[in-house]
Amino acid sequence: MIRRLWNSRAARKFRRNRLAVAAFAVIAFYLLVGASVLLFGLITLDETGERVGMKNVPGFFTEQRAEKRMNDCGYFLEVVDRALGKRDPDEALAEVDFGRRDLIDRPADEIQEIVDRGWEIYDELAEIDDLNQAPEALPRLGELQSVVTELFPIPTGWDGFIYNLQMCLGTDRSGRSISFRAIYSIKVAFQIGMVTALIAVSLGSVLGTAAGFFGGWVDHLVTWLFTTFSSIPNLVLLVLLAYMFAGTVFDGTLVPVYIAFCCTFWIGPCRVIRGETLKLKELEYVQAATAVGFGRFRILFRHVLPNAVHLVLINFSLLFIGAIKSEVILTFLGLGVKSGPSLGIMITQSRSEVINGFFWQIGTATVVMFILVLAFNILSDALQDAFDPKHL
Amino acid sequence: MWAYVFRRILYNVPVYLGIILFVMLALRVNDPIPGKLGKFPDPQVRQKLIEKTGLDQPFYEQYGRFLLQIVTLDFSTESWDRPGVTVGEKLSSAVGPSLALTVPALMLTAVISICVGMVSAYFRGRTIDRSLVVAAVLGMSVSFLVYIILGQYFAAFKLNQALGTEIFAIEVGIDGSPPTLANWPHYYLLPVLISVIVAMGYDTRFYRAVMVEETGRDYITTAQAKGAPMFKIMFVHMLKNAMIPIITRIVISLPFLITGSILLEMYFSIPGMGRELILAVQNKDFPVIQAFTSVFAGLYILTNILTDVLYALVDPRVRLS
Repeated sequence: MIRRLWNSRAARKFRRNRLAVAAFAVIAFYLLVGASVLLFGLITLDETGERVGMKNVPGFFTEQRAEKRMNDCGYFLEVVDRALGKRDPDEALAEVDFGRRDLIDRPADEIQEIVDRGWEIYDELAEIDDLNQAPEALPRLGELQSVVTELFPIPTGWDGFIYNLQMCLGTDRSGRSISFRAIYSIKVAFQIGMVTALIAVSLGSVLGTAAGFFGGWVDHLVTWLFTTFSSIPNLVLLVLLAYMFAGTVFDGTLVPVYIAFCCTFWIGPCRVIRGETLKLKELEYVQAATAVGFGRFRILFRHVLPNAVHLVLINFSLLFIGAIKSEVILTFLGLGVKSGPSLGIMITQSRSEVINGFFWQIGTATVVMFILVLAFNILSDALQDAFDPKHL
Repeated sequence: MWAYVFRRILYNVPVYLGIILFVMLALRVNDPIPGKLGKFPDPQVRQKLIEKTGLDQPFYEQYGRFLLQIVTLDFSTESWDRPGVTVGEKLSSAVGPSLALTVPALMLTAVISICVGMVSAYFRGRTIDRSLVVAAVLGMSVSFLVYIILGQYFAAFKLNQALGTEIFAIEVGIDGSPPTLANWPHYYLLPVLISVIVAMGYDTRFYRAVMVEETGRDYITTAQAKGAPMFKIMFVHMLKNAMIPIITRIVISLPFLITGSILLEMYFSIPGMGRELILAVQNKDFPVIQAFTSVFAGLYILTNILTDVLYALVDPRVRLS
């Protein structure tokens, strides 16, 4: 069946469509990233929740305004200062690391000396009214920054590479790496998309073909089922289903999301495939197969189903888009992904950052999602053009 | 025709029963009492609340009573979350704001996307068409939530800062003045515009496909051969014949009028149906959820029947059977 599909004229037409092949390559790349996070632990959940630097650092290492730089340095100094003030400074100092930027390994009194030096410059700079308009203070600011670098040396080698990777898209409001969170979100998006699209499409096609092919009470039952489910507004159904799991053991996992999406999304493919089966059933070659004396299941699996496979493919692609987009909306309503980063969590959280004019988190999440959804949109259009050209 | 309508309604009765059964069952999977009284409530208080809410009765009895209420159009059940307010009051106060958002949004979307779709079909294959198609796909690939967040930031916050006066409110009712017809643009225009922009991508593509299909028909060639101007062909001949898919598309989105755009309502704190429903789910307010979903579902079924009747009215070839 697969080889026949691969060699079919429609598949050749699809492969000639360069844009579609490019979209396919993009999706494959995303899949690779997602799979390596899932299987090889490219990025762990802990790494996405780890403080790697100051909060709301812009990406691409852009130079920030002088005042923000001063405040950032002050924050670093304060963190160390607070640790020094604890009853057991050595133990407290061991815990103030910023991700891969570890605190310099010196005795407490030497660190105290460096911090005091930093505060001296900081106080001096704080005297200036508007630091952003004072170019003569910049050398002093540079000194302050080198004090901080002395405290927290920027790692070199492999660690340095990872550090740069973490910082390349900036940090969010808790100082977590946006790039790492985005990469982890790709995994979550693929998990949700794959699981729900696979289950929903299989469920929809099994029920749809059964309803269309066998007719009778099976058809009545399936039609009743999908009319019932589709008469509840989509988002309301999602919310209700997600709510069912609030407070149970599944709360906080992805299971409620999976179940809500699967129960909602199977309707589309079921309806389409039922219609197609009804049409195919009446065609001459099926009648011929019946006349030859083939069994019903043989006709179903050898003659009807292969001719509806393209619809399964198209619907899979459409559902994937639906799952990724609905995840964002459900998460915003507080019923979707709850722990760990996901595209929905990133966009929802960035709401408070946007008010302060910080766009790196929403920008990253949007671009990551945009490219993925665009690729899937192009893919499903190309699939539709190639396999189902009469479709509106 | 009336026989057909009657038969369709009869056919949809089991569907409707199924919807209510499903909603009530889905709600009762989770015990709502701990959410109201905490994890370890006083058994007496708990017992009292259970009796008051009617959750102690067997399920079929609750189901039957609710069905009876729907049949008699009795919406006098009290909301659990706000005692003293009946479900009917909640419904009627939420319909207005929802309609204020969705009616203009739906109309604007339909008119603009039909026009854009026709322009696209007219210039089929040329640069204008290509760029419109590309723009639609690009627009579809951005999350709804991003449109809302950025729309609110730039149009309601930045623009107001730049101009010094407030054109769009950040949230409905944020100034303390209740929404009226006079300040409709102030509160509702921005959500409406965002809604139109988001819906445009999907609708334009659909209408373009409809129009492109229609341009290939014989009567267009005939009209062209007879020398009718292209403009007239498009707006007189083609639009009329493309009416069926257009009407279907619009009527299908009619239930959306009532449901409202839940996300927009949540974000701009518009006190409409969608927002009320989500808040009810969050507060485990069963009577409100049940009443709202049963009304939504009823309207949905009715619009479905209406679609088929409209088909027959628009296209004489369609027979209702």
